Amino acid sequence: MPVNTKAIKGRIKSVGSTKKITKAMEMIAAAKMRKAVNAALDTRTYATLAWDLLVSLSKTQKTQLPLLAVRPVQKILVIIVTSNRGLCGSFNSNIIKKVSAQLKNPAHIAKQIVGDKELPGSENITIDVVGIGKKGADFAKKMNYNLVAAFTNMTDTPSVDDALPIAKMAIDAYESKSYDKVIVAYTDFRSAIFQLAKLRQVLPISEADLEKMITGKEDLEKQESKQKNLQEDTYLFEPNRLDVLQTILPRLVETQIYQAMLESAASEHSARMMAMRSASDAAEDMIKELNLNFNKARQAGITQEIAEIAGGAAALE
Amino acid sequence: MSTLKFKIVTPEKVIYENEILQVTIPTMSGEITILPNHIPLVSVLKAGEMRIKDKDGEQNLAVSGGFLEIRGNNEIVILADHAERAIDIDTAKAEEAKQRAEEQMKNLKNVQDVDYARLQAVIDRELNKIKIARKYKNLPNK
Repeated sequence: MPVNTKAIKGRIKSVGSTKKITKAMEMIAAAKMRKAVNAALDTRTYATLAWDLLVSLSKTQKTQLPLLAVRPVQKILVIIVTSNRGLCGSFNSNIIKKVSAQLKNPAHIAKQIVGDKELPGSENITIDVVGIGKKGADFAKKMNYNLVAAFTNMTDTPSVDDALPIAKMAIDAYESKSYDKVIVAYTDFRSAIFQLAKLRQVLPISEADLEKMITGKEDLEKQESKQKNLQEDTYLFEPNRLDVLQTILPRLVETQIYQAMLESAASEHSARMMAMRSASDAAEDMIKELNLNFNKARQAGITQEIAEIAGGAAALE
Repeated sequence: MSTLKFKIVTPEKVIYENEILQVTIPTMSGEITILPNHIPLVSVLKAGEMRIKDKDGEQNLAVSGGFLEIRGNNEIVILADHAERAIDIDTAKAEEAKQRAEEQMKNLKNVQDVDYARLQAVIDRELNKIKIARKYKNLPNK
């Protein structure tokens, strides 16, 4: 049937151009991914070392600095790192699913762990959300969480300057006791095909969180060696303990937030690349099938025409 | 003779990692030299020149901002905001960056403290880089 083949031809064309778009998006995402992954990996060493230092400081220091103070939790600040744009597979939905599951049961994340003891949170826990990326902000609005700030003008490769205002806000709020806990929800970059949504406590600085952070063997070994030298470590401070801690602690918190943003950026681009690759593959399959159908319809049309001619000739005889 | 496990990292990358004999570091309270078997110490860096002595000779780095941590087992970790080897410094670029920062400083009339501090830090950093580059680049054997 000529009508049918025409319709199929139209579809092949439109699927083909969709495929071209997804292919182009895949290439772009791959290029951006390479950059973002490099940035994330390069910063990882710094962030891990900074985190080590942070944790050993918080262990050995009994000084009551506001950033180290552990209070019973009443108000929690959750910083959600998401992307600005969609079309990146389950990247955003994974992190949002993770966060909303945790927020439904705030008693769990409100627990404070001090040494071996657990400090339960108070009865009424209020949660405020900071959204980095449009999708996180939209999610908070939709779910009626109190969205205190949204940073939606992030670039593809965040710089330290992008992380500074967020870190400053969190630190100030924690110091002024408006929040008793600050959590960052981000996507940890494991490999190009696997990313993991994660929640991480940034403030108060806690050693318990370090265990959650362990990702592989390497980290495990590091942790063991660190535990060994922790016992003997009582740090000497120059010029003095208070000055040093006051300079270092905010920097370390900034680094953690910056790292979370880099990891998320790397994850976003990998997720988008994978999503676009599977879209291109699906388009390819679809085109194959449509081509088959098209050829079948064309052949059927020819066969029918011949049958008609043959039928007509037979009728004349 | 015991050595120090030395590592200097910036948010961008690991600059240098090696077994070293001694290192001289500019800190807020003055320049210090670390030898093996130092007790654990945490201190804050300031813009200046870092001299590392290893088996093969001396390395010179321009550093600015950050902190250093000496762990109990002869490990020394430096978390610097910026660090560059003297031989890698691009003097022209540093000069340019310094001028840009100074210009911004002039243009901002009602500067916030944070911006001011940040710009000042940039100027310090670039000045430091230029100084160190000049010092070592002209040496014939470098």
